[in-house]
Amino acid sequence: MTTLPRDQVRSMMGEVLAAQGKELPAEDGALLETIGFRSLDFSELALRVEDELDEELNFDAPGLRSIETVGDVLTFIDQLQQA
Amino acid sequence: MSERLSAGADNRVVSRGYVGRWRDIDEAPDLPDAAAFLVADNTEAIRAVWQHVLHADRRETLVAARSRIGAEQEQGFREFGLAVVRPPDVQPALLDRPAEPGRIWLLTSGSTGRPKQVAHTLDSLTTVGTDQPPRTWLCPYATGAYAWWQVVTLSIQVPGQDVVFVEPDEIDAWPALAEQHGVTAASGTPTFWRQAIFRAVDTLSRVPLRQVTLGGEPVDQAILDRLHEVYPDARISWIYASSEAGAAIAVHDGQAGFPTAWLDRETPGRPRLSVQDGELVIASAKAAEGMDAQIHTGDRAEIVGDRVLITGRIASDEINVGGSKASASGVRAVLLAHPAVAWAAVKGRRAPLVGNVVTAQVVLSGDATEADLLAWCNARLPDYSVPRRLRVLPEIPIKESLKSDV
Repeated sequence: MTTLPRDQVRSMMGEVLAAQGKELPAEDGALLETIGFRSLDFSELALRVEDELDEELNFDAPGLRSIETVGDVLTFIDQLQQA
Repeated sequence: MSERLSAGADNRVVSRGYVGRWRDIDEAPDLPDAAAFLVADNTEAIRAVWQHVLHADRRETLVAARSRIGAEQEQGFREFGLAVVRPPDVQPALLDRPAEPGRIWLLTSGSTGRPKQVAHTLDSLTTVGTDQPPRTWLCPYATGAYAWWQVVTLSIQVPGQDVVFVEPDEIDAWPALAEQHGVTAASGTPTFWRQAIFRAVDTLSRVPLRQVTLGGEPVDQAILDRLHEVYPDARISWIYASSEAGAAIAVHDGQAGFPTAWLDRETPGRPRLSVQDGELVIASAKAAEGMDAQIHTGDRAEIVGDRVLITGRIASDEINVGGSKASASGVRAVLLAHPAVAWAAVKGRRAPLVGNVVTAQVVLSGDATEADLLAWCNARLPDYSVPRRLRVLPEIPIKESLKSDV
């Protein structure tokens, strides 16, 4: 399946935060807790990616892992797309 | 022809293929007494109904739109002892048994469990027995559905109640059809009314309705108010009815829900209504045969002030968002309360980390952006209930059942 490049996912992540009146920092190491990016925001991002791809992601496949930074989110979404 | 004509035999019937009185509908040739009529349209359906009325002393009848019946179900009818009639073709029953005189079978979509046949008679389907002002009714419901039978039996049993049938492919044009045939009363689902207002409010206001009836789906205050604006002089009624429980609640005061004073009240001839664990429970003499004395409807009932509001299906209402319970009907009510929203549907969607998120589809009747609607929801709902994906549709989706599955 086609996959979205990391930059595009990052920009979609910025849109999710912007809808909450928040800003996405440039550094991948920024902590989610600090910027207020919560589980629900992560879920919304995953659905935005699904809608963009017009394809369902396999949420079960990658398994849960520790997601603490912006970079973790981007990596996890990448894994979801590869699964 | 039998001389036992019904009280409404002189009422006028209009369908795409027939305009005339009930009493003048042609009798079908000899048919097996127990038959399932799988009909192509309302003209075939009213012939089957009239056949039953004329010979209720020996006939057992099921009427359904053939588009809704699959081969397996058709086989099931035959094994149950019903001949399958696709006018004029007749497939004999596979079980030889005598007909149950007067029996009318309805197919339920399964509001209290699995889909099944429920047993009625003309009398149990007739819910209005008192004198009525002369009316010409619009009947847009799916052929053979409970609400369809309610309009049909009203016209057959009560003098002065003419009826105009609408085929599914005529739904968009019903206001013009109603205007042409002098319709003064119409019964439809809230989705039907929302779509009519959305698409053709100008034509709608030219149809001089004196009676506007809603049923089949949860009814909110916004649609009642909008209909009152379009028809300030009409009586606006909400009917709660189902194939299993019969017509149990009729409210005519223009307010959503019904008075809490009606709960747990014993009134001769009226159903007893109660709320048990947030569910509407009905005990009714007009219920289908073989039902429990108390029918658990599966519909969520909420007591708000002095009203009991029916807000949606219990089974499908709850969306588990990371352990928090969002109510689809509650979110929908908030969206519908926005002045620019004409219609809304809310569902859960599978999502990582939280299991499900709330998503919504809306149709707008005014100016609003997605951000406006989300801000509206943010101000009125807990965080987990705010829709995370919101889609604006160009028009209201509607099914043959006139419902939107919301």
